[in-house]
Amino acid sequence: MNKKFLAFGAVALASATVLSACSAGGDASSTGAAGSGSLSIYAWAGEIPDSVIEGFEAETGIDVTVDTFDSNETMISKLAAGNSGYDVVEPSQYAVQLMVERDLIAEIDKSKLEGFDNLAEKFVDPSFDPGNTHSIPWAWGTTGILYNEACTGAEVTGWADMWNPDYAGKVYMLDNMLSAYIAGLQVNGLSATTTDEAEIATATDSLLEQKPLLGGYNSTNYADLVGTGDACIAEAYSGTTAAKAVEANPDVHYIIPEEGGTLWTDSFSIVAGTANEDAAYQWLNYTLRPEVAALVTDDASLASTNAAALELVADQSQVENPAIYAPADSLTNSEFIVDPGDALAYFQDGWTRVRAS
Amino acid sequence: MVDVNTPRTSRAAGYLMLLPAVAVITLLVIVPMVVIARDSFAVSDPLGGNLGGFTLDNYAKLLDPVYAKTLGYSLGMAALNAAVCTVVGYIVAYYIATRPAKTQPVLLVLVIIPFLTDFLVRTFAWITLLGSGGPFISLLRLLGVEAQSLVPSQLAVTLSLLYAFLPVAVFPIYASMRSIDPSLKEAAADLGAGWWQTHARIFVPLSASGLASSVMLTFVPTLGVFVIPVLLGGGKDPLVGNLIVTLFTEFRNEPLGAALSMVVLVLMLLSVAAAGLILRARSGSARAGRSRSPKKASAV
Repeated sequence: MNKKFLAFGAVALASATVLSACSAGGDASSTGAAGSGSLSIYAWAGEIPDSVIEGFEAETGIDVTVDTFDSNETMISKLAAGNSGYDVVEPSQYAVQLMVERDLIAEIDKSKLEGFDNLAEKFVDPSFDPGNTHSIPWAWGTTGILYNEACTGAEVTGWADMWNPDYAGKVYMLDNMLSAYIAGLQVNGLSATTTDEAEIATATDSLLEQKPLLGGYNSTNYADLVGTGDACIAEAYSGTTAAKAVEANPDVHYIIPEEGGTLWTDSFSIVAGTANEDAAYQWLNYTLRPEVAALVTDDASLASTNAAALELVADQSQVENPAIYAPADSLTNSEFIVDPGDALAYFQDGWTRVRAS
Repeated sequence: MVDVNTPRTSRAAGYLMLLPAVAVITLLVIVPMVVIARDSFAVSDPLGGNLGGFTLDNYAKLLDPVYAKTLGYSLGMAALNAAVCTVVGYIVAYYIATRPAKTQPVLLVLVIIPFLTDFLVRTFAWITLLGSGGPFISLLRLLGVEAQSLVPSQLAVTLSLLYAFLPVAVFPIYASMRSIDPSLKEAAADLGAGWWQTHARIFVPLSASGLASSVMLTFVPTLGVFVIPVLLGGGKDPLVGNLIVTLFTEFRNEPLGAALSMVVLVLMLLSVAAAGLILRARSGSARAGRSRSPKKASAV
């Protein structure tokens, strides 16, 4: 019996190890009950501060449940499976395009919106959702470079520095295909939204050439690595972790590369066929209020899409932090990363070769 | 199990008692496997949908040498980890099995305790331990050695894989060692066997089933690991587990991911079957095989 117990223990341990490895990339999930007076939101982890939810609940009496995800793909596959029970989701720009094509999100009735004029110009009628028919942007950011000047010994100005052999072994790229191709394309003077096969092949060659210089691909703790100097220079998303790294260490800087910048934005959309449509519109209107939108900066260290909210941010140093709000002049040529459509295959072939090389 | 020899009624009761286990295995193991097997032949749509239908394209795509390269690297890492875990597990298990009966359970519990902590937290702990500000590098610098951070490195990956799977190796080896008569060791010593001979000719052969279980229990799950290579290895050399995650998520290609999963599954089954055959051949030729059950390894 003792022997059986031991064998069982070993098997249980083995499966526990594997299972916990799976959950490492997973998400918290407890689907909220749908019904009157309730709203179930599926959003990016860390993008809706508790203060926003509490304020909404206190004012409307609607019971809000928030589940979080850490990749658009996870979110889309959950909705595509059907009967997700969610009323509002928060897709990124290219995910909005995918979800519109797959009929997963509903058209927004503009006549039911209040405060839409509060949105900053670049989020009105964006390339990924003309006319904002399916999405109301909530938070935005950039893909840029986080570097440690004590380690690089010089100011970093653009993507070309990520190909500098002096930093060999201390260069990190984001572990994400489309993000890595931003650097690969822009360093060659190409548009980050290209769908041209030859241009994408050029970027693939650059990424292959860069690989021996890399410390690694990392989307998890690159900000820590730059902070300690284990990484000199890393491709990075603006937002909470980059902002903290910049605040904590005067040598750490976040810049938009001179070759061009790219923007991302996460928007609220209404799930197609939701049973709580009224509550969903109440949510959209509540989050369009400047004083509410300002909380995403104050409580989540993210940039708000709401122009009227900027002056209401309590801690104005956050508005001046380039790792949260990229300076306007650095964004003149910036574009949203949109869905590559059929060109996705060229990116995938190239990325598979880069990763396996 | 106890009343195998009693009449039919209790045999029926036996089957009835088996039902929950069969139901659980069907629901949690067989059904998902069938779904994955089905999906591996499905047509994918560029938007990330699964269109159903039947195609062999997914398997054809896996003929691309980049997949073979990653699979080869993964099998190598898994074999290395299985070997390292089994050697270290043998040493630990031997130590525990030769302690007084009262201390053994305590030591076994100590082996498990760290595993009550979340897997990801333990992996991050290794980053701190081996990173540039960590105790290991600080000690080397104190001794005047110019040391760089060990993260990312192959060594860091190997160490943390060993750490993650060691208990899985210790338990089956310990279980088979417990049934070895301690007087055999004295007998060996009386007959002039040294330390090496005692192990090579007595303890290793008699704990062979445990060693084989240990190899399988560490080899198979290592193939599916995907967090450790990213966090401690820098993610430059992906394991097949990383590739499957990428196919399912970023590449929006469930069918291709399913096909690669099936390939891994078949490789796992083949290695389990091979281990089972080797064990059966061994126990057929061994004389002292009474208390050991060679089927255990293949049942895992």
